[in-house]
Amino acid sequence: MNQLNNGFTIFLSLLVEAMPFLLLGVLFSSLLLFFVDERKLVEKMPKNPLLGALVGSLIGFLFPVCECGNVPVARRFLIQGVPTPVAIGFLLAAPTINPIVIWSTWTAFRDQPEIVVLRVVFSLAIATIIGFVFSFQKDLNPIIQPAIARYMKFNPPAQPETKRRGKRYQVEQQEAIPNILQSGTYILGGKAGVPLRIDANFVQPTAPISNTNKPLADKLRLVVDNSVQEFRELGGVMILGSAIAAAIQVLAPRELILSLGAGPISSIVVMLILAVVVSICSTVDSFFALSFASTFSSGSLLAFLVFGPMIDIKSVGLMLSIFKPKTVFYLFALAAQLTFVLTLFLNLHVF
Amino acid sequence: MANKNPKSKIPNLLLPWLDALAITSWGILMLRYWLTNKLNLLIHPNYIWFVVVTGISLIVIGFFKMQELWQRRRRDVTPNGQHISLFPPGWGSVLLLTTAILGFIITPQVFASDKALQRGVTTDLLGSTRVKPQAFRATVRPEERSLVDWVRTVNVYPEPDTYTGQKVKVQGFVIHPPDIGKEYLFLARFVLTCCAADAYPVGLPVKLPNNQEPYSPDTWLEVEGQMMTENLAGKRQLTIAATSLKKIPQPQNPYSY
Repeated sequence: MNQLNNGFTIFLSLLVEAMPFLLLGVLFSSLLLFFVDERKLVEKMPKNPLLGALVGSLIGFLFPVCECGNVPVARRFLIQGVPTPVAIGFLLAAPTINPIVIWSTWTAFRDQPEIVVLRVVFSLAIATIIGFVFSFQKDLNPIIQPAIARYMKFNPPAQPETKRRGKRYQVEQQEAIPNILQSGTYILGGKAGVPLRIDANFVQPTAPISNTNKPLADKLRLVVDNSVQEFRELGGVMILGSAIAAAIQVLAPRELILSLGAGPISSIVVMLILAVVVSICSTVDSFFALSFASTFSSGSLLAFLVFGPMIDIKSVGLMLSIFKPKTVFYLFALAAQLTFVLTLFLNLHVF
Repeated sequence: MANKNPKSKIPNLLLPWLDALAITSWGILMLRYWLTNKLNLLIHPNYIWFVVVTGISLIVIGFFKMQELWQRRRRDVTPNGQHISLFPPGWGSVLLLTTAILGFIITPQVFASDKALQRGVTTDLLGSTRVKPQAFRATVRPEERSLVDWVRTVNVYPEPDTYTGQKVKVQGFVIHPPDIGKEYLFLARFVLTCCAADAYPVGLPVKLPNNQEPYSPDTWLEVEGQMMTENLAGKRQLTIAATSLKKIPQPQNPYSY
């Protein structure tokens, strides 16, 4: 009984600590959804592949979205003609390289500041490297979904901007490739993960440009609606994640945890697997990792914090809306290997 | 859109209300923990204001949403799709609401000796690598150090003999580890960095004038005495030779930071 209550106390403490960060992240990303004009951003992207990948990874600072927000934004980037390394860098780094995530990591690991710094450095490095690797793929057709490839073929990014704003053109486009140009959150509704646009009726008059002159009150209502949706969904995932963390703390035999957590390789492997399974949002995942802080090696905690935001179960579905399965697999494999190597170096005190 | 068949119309009407309810209930739960001083048991005091602001914000958002739903109730409800694919509709809110209700029913508890024993093998209590000194105050008088200060000091300079004869006056709760003799007990406190999930015990062994029986586990004690070095479980350990042990009530805020 005592065990149960201890477990529940840990569970609640994780939730109470994480909830504020989740709300902040959700509010912030919803606000930007409606107030930032990404098209202006797109025009300024560098063409150099390495620089592009780095800049793409850093744009996360302007778009503090977590795992489910970054995929739609990355897709819009690709469609608007942003170079691939920029889009991939953004896709992988945005969930970590953002002020709220850095703050929450700092909150959780105040007494181990190296974790906060290395989380940013490793994520940037991995995202940049993978973005750079993908820059060698000049022809996008083999790696992206046919629908997007088709769209890009017929609407090369060099086309004048004004054309996109034509109302009729927009409608035609929605029929061909639904919702591809609109800003806002994509959702995987009903059947087979076909992406739908949230609250199409609401946004329709203002679409596709995010910051048109809609009255502030309406915008605010959209922000609240979007926040409520994200909070509810991510909150659900957070509850499951916290429950897993609390259960492991209370139920797993201490000897097992100590032996797994102390091994330089086994600890990383365990945390990489946990990162994929738990699928917890990046704004709050540091609290999850925290509950392993006293028993697991620093390298393995970092593996969780770096790899988790890049890849997890719920983002796979979304990623498949951009890339072919093969590409998603490459992304995963590359990210996992790089995370493993970097954090293993850390565990073995190579640097 | 998400729901086309008439069957799902009712859930479709109810789901937004469930969202609003779940969010509001979390706001109320957070404020309630604050008002009943239970937040101390869950998180580091630095973040209490943050939780309070969040609680208020959640209530505001919840009411805003409810008001909007109330005004729109006669009109067609715009179907709300799911944001991510992990849950079927409504699951997120149901999970949030259920947890909030559990939070209202079950009171969080202060960790005690069972947790300390499960968390840290006793010989680790002193050697915990996570305790780092926060400030060096060479002038501080030994008897003014708290239990955590002692552990921090010993971590910086671990030779137990250095401290022999220094006066001690510390507070903590009793643990009876299985591997030390009857004339000893461990006096411990939990240290919190962020929230209860990372609470870890630190402490020092106490050598008693008689045996440990009068002091059952989890009793809070104020121990006075002198430092000495003992061999415990095959290890030289800084130990408090107690001259006086006074039972005290559990402090308002049982954790150290």
